Amino acid sequence: MANEIWLFVEEHNGELTAATKELISKARELAEGLGRHVAALVLSPRAAEIANHVFGYGVPKAYIVEDPALEHYTTDAYVGAAAALVKQYQPKVLLTGASFQMRDFTAALAADVDAGLGADCTGVAVRDGQIIAMRPSHGANVINTLGFNSDMVIVSLRRQVATEAQAVGGTGEIVRGQMPQLPQRMKVLKVEDKSNAVNLADSQIIVSGGRGLGSPENYEKLVPTLAQAFNGAYGASRAIVDAGWVPYERQVGQTGKTVSPKLYVACGISGAIQHLAGMRNSGTIVAINKDPDAPIFKVATYGLVGDVNELLPALTEIVEQKTRS
Amino acid sequence: MHAVVFIKQVPQQNSVKITPDKQIDASGIEPIISLFDEYALEEALLQVEKNGGQVTVVTIGGEEQIDALRKALAMGANQAILVNDPALATIGSLDAAKVGAAVVKKLGDFDAIFCGKQSTDDETAVFGPALARYLGLPVLSYVFKVHELDANARRVVVDRAMETTTETVEASLPAVLTTVKDLNQPRYPSLLKIKKAQKADIPRWTAADLGLNPTELAPKVTYLDRVPPPPRPKGSIIDGASAQEKARKLVDALVDTQVI
Ligand SMILES: Cc1cc2nc3c(=O)[nH]c(=O)nc-3n(C[C@H](O)[C@H](O)[C@H](O)COP(=O)(O)OP(=O)(O)OC[C@H]3O[C@@H](n4cnc5c(N)ncnc54)[C@H](O)[C@@H]3O)c2cc1C
Ligand SMILES: Nc1ncnc2c1ncn2[C@@H]1O[C@H](COP(=O)(O)O)[C@@H](O)[C@H]1O
Repeated sequence: MANEIWLFVEEHNGELTAATKELISKARELAEGLGRHVAALVLSPRAAEIANHVFGYGVPKAYIVEDPALEHYTTDAYVGAAAALVKQYQPKVLLTGASFQMRDFTAALAADVDAGLGADCTGVAVRDGQIIAMRPSHGANVINTLGFNSDMVIVSLRRQVATEAQAVGGTGEIVRGQMPQLPQRMKVLKVEDKSNAVNLADSQIIVSGGRGLGSPENYEKLVPTLAQAFNGAYGASRAIVDAGWVPYERQVGQTGKTVSPKLYVACGISGAIQHLAGMRNSGTIVAINKDPDAPIFKVATYGLVGDVNELLPALTEIVEQKTRS
Repeated sequence: MHAVVFIKQVPQQNSVKITPDKQIDASGIEPIISLFDEYALEEALLQVEKNGGQVTVVTIGGEEQIDALRKALAMGANQAILVNDPALATIGSLDAAKVGAAVVKKLGDFDAIFCGKQSTDDETAVFGPALARYLGLPVLSYVFKVHELDANARRVVVDRAMETTTETVEASLPAVLTTVKDLNQPRYPSLLKIKKAQKADIPRWTAADLGLNPTELAPKVTYLDRVPPPPRPKGSIIDGASAQEKARKLVDALVDTQVI
């Protein structure tokens, strides 16, 4: 019973999230490496139904707490419910996504159950029979390999670090936990979708603009259009976020979002170390800059030297032709 | 009200070196207050200006961190404490939160605790939520607007900035709040206040002062290795007579390598 490899399940609109499918693959890999079993942790008012979805991906067991108090995330309710299960069943590992919510959850849970914690990791593996985790720090200038000397290990994993598990059909065993009695200290009053909201960390293609775009109007005209042609999302450097051209949630970099899309296109961005911190792990990097000595070219897979005002419209047109054909 | 703010001094930019024994060497890089902590401090100052009361700033770290505390005093904090103990030299954010909890308990009366959402060097975002749990308090992380913080009614209402949603959440006080950028506009201290802060008396507390036994703080995480990121594969500049030609060659390359 003890010593299982757990993964935290998240669902959106009746579908397991892509992050959860990645966690299933990772958990399976760790379980094979350690000779253990995989199990899901599901906290939701509809936990049993969600558990059945997870079984369809080949996970044979789910620990669930099904309670109306889990409708909206609060640290108190979620960590309270999870800590009770963890203390009773003592998993060896818990994997979660690295969204803001899950980073709040894992930090609080690690404190509650005295676990070793790898936060916002880019990898987790078994080496010599032990769990290790990889995490960047210092604006991606340092890659740390973490070892753990605790009974339990919690790791929050970034997106796009494992392949997504495929549906295979199947059933599994549900183990029900109780919602602990908690003081009513936190209440979610309202949840609002942000207008034009985008989760950059989930995007496969990102086109970002910087001060080289010249004006907010020019950014608006050129950058989202190219992003749309690629069927991707658009981001920005801090310089133009601070200047008020673009909202903060689109900022890429050390004090903005960390992204690792398949393709990152940096337009009119110089490539300051704090910007690179947020995007240097991208698959392919395209840099478009009129200054051939701009530092962004040092990390670029492909560089285009020239004026964004000419290159971006040309690129948009050709990408549109390609994607139409 | 009494607001406690945890701040940390970090390298202004992160081109740090890694020593042979896998420690981080930030020598020669200008130290600053970690960006998100400035918002935490500013919010504490604003709330205390509104409610009346005191702001205490706390850092767990080496003697060099004193500069950050002096800057916080210059910005308007009333008291600063440095927890400096060689036994704590290499603790991570989770154990630092345990030390932070002991500091808060020793301070006694307080209404709200503010931290940055994450430090810009270790970048774990662990300290605030963990601190809250060690103290048995509610935590509101990723706060980008404080609607109401009423020490008498013991109630706080904030907006939390999540990836694609904004959550309005209410909690009882005392509580821990972790702050994101743009929550407010951190103030610049006047020259006079900077001078005054240079002379301020900042107590140093040790683990023993906090009743902490260093073995309780034995780290659960060890650094097996620390390396610079692998160099990116060498890239190439795409030439062409016109913007159209360059764009076409780029798109061909992206298609050939199955990126699009
Ligand atoms: C603590 C701290 C945290 C930070 N965090 C972040 C962060 O999270 N994200 C971030 O991005 N930055 C961050 N920065 C800021 C960073 O140091 C840079 O100032 C910023 O990234 C610069 O933005 P930029 O490249 O858009 O502007 P610039 O550096 O001004 O570069 C503009 C570029 O555009 C090019 N250009 C100009 N005109 C054209 C044209 N017509 N066509 C093509 N190219 C053109 C120029 O050659 C230049 O290279 C941080 C800084 C600090 C101190
Ligand atoms: N050693 C420390 N001393 C004081 N505050 C800290 C310390 N470590 C972390 N913090 C606070 O916790 C926040 C998050 O840090 P971290 O969990 O390391 O990402 C920081 O922005 C600080 O507000």
